[in-house]
Amino acid sequence: MNSRLRRSTAVAGAFWLVALGACGGGGTADDSAAPTPSVVLSAEAALGEKIFADASLSASGRQSCASCHAPAFGHSPANSLAAQFGGADSTLQGLRKAPAIRYLAANKPFAIAADGTPTGGFFWDGRARTFAEQATEPFLNPFEMANASKAAVIAKLAAAPYAVEFRKVFGDKVFDDVDGAYLRLSLAVQQYEREDADFNAYSSRYDAFLRGRAALGEQELRGLALFNAPAKGNCAACHPSSRGADGSLPLFTDFSYDNLGVPRKAELERNADAAYFDLGLCQRSDLVARGDLCGAFKVPSLRNVALRQAFFHNGRFKTLKDALTFYVQRDTDPGKWYPTGAGGVVRKFDDLPAAYRSNVNTSEAPYNRRPGDAPALSDAEIDDVIAFLKTLNDGTTP
Amino acid sequence: MTPIPRRTTLQRTLSTTAIVRAIVALGLTLGGVGAMAAQSTGEAELARRLDALAAELAKVKAELAQLQQQRAVAPPPMPAIAESPSMNASGTALGPGLSAEPRTVLTSYGEINYSRPTRDAKNTVADVRRFVLGFQHRFDDKTKVVTELEVEHAVSSAGDKGEVEVEQAYLERQLTRQWAARAGLFLIPAGLLNENHEPTAYYGVERNFVETAIIPSTWREGGIQFVGSFDNGLTTQFGLSTGFDLTKWDATSTDGAESPLGAIHQELSLAKARDLSVFGAVNWRGVPGLLVGGSLFTGGATHGQAAASSRVTLWDLHARWTPGRWDLSGVYSRGAISNTAAFNTPLAGSTTLIPKSFDGWFAQAAYKLWSSGDYSLSPFARWEQFNTARSFADIGPGLTPIAGPTERVITVGANFSIGSGIVLKADLQRFRENRDRDRVDLGLGWSF
Repeated sequence: MNSRLRRSTAVAGAFWLVALGACGGGGTADDSAAPTPSVVLSAEAALGEKIFADASLSASGRQSCASCHAPAFGHSPANSLAAQFGGADSTLQGLRKAPAIRYLAANKPFAIAADGTPTGGFFWDGRARTFAEQATEPFLNPFEMANASKAAVIAKLAAAPYAVEFRKVFGDKVFDDVDGAYLRLSLAVQQYEREDADFNAYSSRYDAFLRGRAALGEQELRGLALFNAPAKGNCAACHPSSRGADGSLPLFTDFSYDNLGVPRKAELERNADAAYFDLGLCQRSDLVARGDLCGAFKVPSLRNVALRQAFFHNGRFKTLKDALTFYVQRDTDPGKWYPTGAGGVVRKFDDLPAAYRSNVNTSEAPYNRRPGDAPALSDAEIDDVIAFLKTLNDGTTP
Repeated sequence: MTPIPRRTTLQRTLSTTAIVRAIVALGLTLGGVGAMAAQSTGEAELARRLDALAAELAKVKAELAQLQQQRAVAPPPMPAIAESPSMNASGTALGPGLSAEPRTVLTSYGEINYSRPTRDAKNTVADVRRFVLGFQHRFDDKTKVVTELEVEHAVSSAGDKGEVEVEQAYLERQLTRQWAARAGLFLIPAGLLNENHEPTAYYGVERNFVETAIIPSTWREGGIQFVGSFDNGLTTQFGLSTGFDLTKWDATSTDGAESPLGAIHQELSLAKARDLSVFGAVNWRGVPGLLVGGSLFTGGATHGQAAASSRVTLWDLHARWTPGRWDLSGVYSRGAISNTAAFNTPLAGSTTLIPKSFDGWFAQAAYKLWSSGDYSLSPFARWEQFNTARSFADIGPGLTPIAGPTERVITVGANFSIGSGIVLKADLQRFRENRDRDRVDLGLGWSF
């Protein structure tokens, strides 16, 4: 190699070393993968915010989206009812507990994998495949805002104080096309839920803990360990608690569906009919043939779970303590949760027809136990897990 | 060093043959010149020159004979030696016109294995463990590209477990007589096996545990590397490369317990590259049949995507000695991951937390018991012990995992070689810690 070429090669090598080495500096980006909510809402989102809180868009004139999804309660109901009341005169009881709707922007569309496993979707049964679709249904649901038609909704929207803004954003003639206007209404609500900081806060103490900005107390750490441990709570199996490979903060749901065999809830008026069962996924018209999915409901996010006042799809339990105790004692002490029938036999999984009771998850911890076994978590350990779950409340960053 | 060891011995032989031819030709030429010169400078000077040439020729012939003998006696090629096709036995560069290979060379290796757990026969598996095709293309006497494409487990599709991987893809340029530079995706110089992982290059059906669980072979990174080979038998490699990704540690999986670094390697597949790593290796083989060396790899592994930063470091010491029919080797390797407490605390209670340290070593002896024609039989025994979770950082009482058990494995078996490119293998592995893993293995491999 001549000296000129040797020098050139050396210079090139040094350049690469210096250039690549320079890339290694800088500090850590502690939450680079967390969505950044908008400080100022877009025009569409600002409209969505008004629609979200507008009770005049319901048949009764007394129910808005915010009525069942209260910001102060993690966008879940502000009461402990098993289901909210709606309809034309606000006297119709809903069929399921109104879900918390925070962090839905990170939710996945409904899909069924090649092996038949369902994931994603919106509502307890994933029937709304997309974010926008879920925003449209409550306006027409007879148990909720109960409008007779899209035209009825759009007529109310056209009379709303912010109709001028709606026209300004979507065009003067937007209300002339009912379907087009309804689509834009749903997009505005969706955009609000995407942009609003409350919906995507990532401001819990646990978030701060993951960012390295806060510590958890001893009891909270014990609770976290019990939450994660496969042989104890095993909660993380469906409610992942660690950051994703891309650094994203955990949503505490894997978007899957599970059949927990939650006991029947007499508070739901429909349950007065002994022949009525809420079958979850297989109640959907497109999944009727999937008997294996009967009784399965969506795994909800546990963010802000301590702000909720009713738990599971039928609001069966009113406290976290009861909900967690049910998890770990369902199989060790079934008589505590299910009614006893003739002959003193416990009617386990009583909110499912007999044909579908075998669908209930009995293989994974903490369900894989028999009557008389020790529960996977003791009473004190349940308290530890609850202490941890309280760190998931938004707005608690130190 | 260039990880093409299966061709190294042959190349060295060819290279040495070429040198002999060149020297003989030179000698004849000089002899002619010397005859004429004798008339003017005297017969004494001519005789001195001829003596010198004869001595040099004898020395080269002896070296050639020694190399041929080593090739016949030692089944696997020496690992981690100067394998660059452009290097001769002394690691020196061949000049233009002396290369004995075509410009483009197809390479391949593969292994088909059968593994039967002796206590759990229902989990017996037969598998095309890997099938690799590669090529080298020499642009000129100093510049080449080396590639390998691997298929693991026969079928790779959405519904199968197989993988298709680019295992190597780098360019190499010979800069000087001693130094070469590489850029691209290359194997990291670590241990005895990582750069020399073809089935004909090691004993036993499966690769040893130390160089799979601790050193995550086949371990490759993208970057630049410099390779220096010196006349005194010293070879040194160093460079800058991509590294590991600790943010993808899956605490719910057992992958990290099987191989901590295997669970977080990136293989240059959309690799996070904010944090780069440095590496280096030194190998010395100044005594025929002996190789002594070590390596170090260290670099950031969080890429700015975690609240805390962490560094992964892995080092090893290794040696191999092939006196006569014996083939003796050993490796010790230790890895460490820094700042694991910050990462493990949110994972408390999970199945597999991140270890603070992990290590292992093995000692192996093989003996070429029988040979006839191009057949040879080499029984071997290997003792190894390794711990993929030697220690954990303290994250508090009741939360800190206990250190993992040290697994001890003895492997006895034999390699039956047909020439230098085909090997049939059989071995028996016994585990001291987890007896359920005891197994009998059969394997078929080739490499060219």
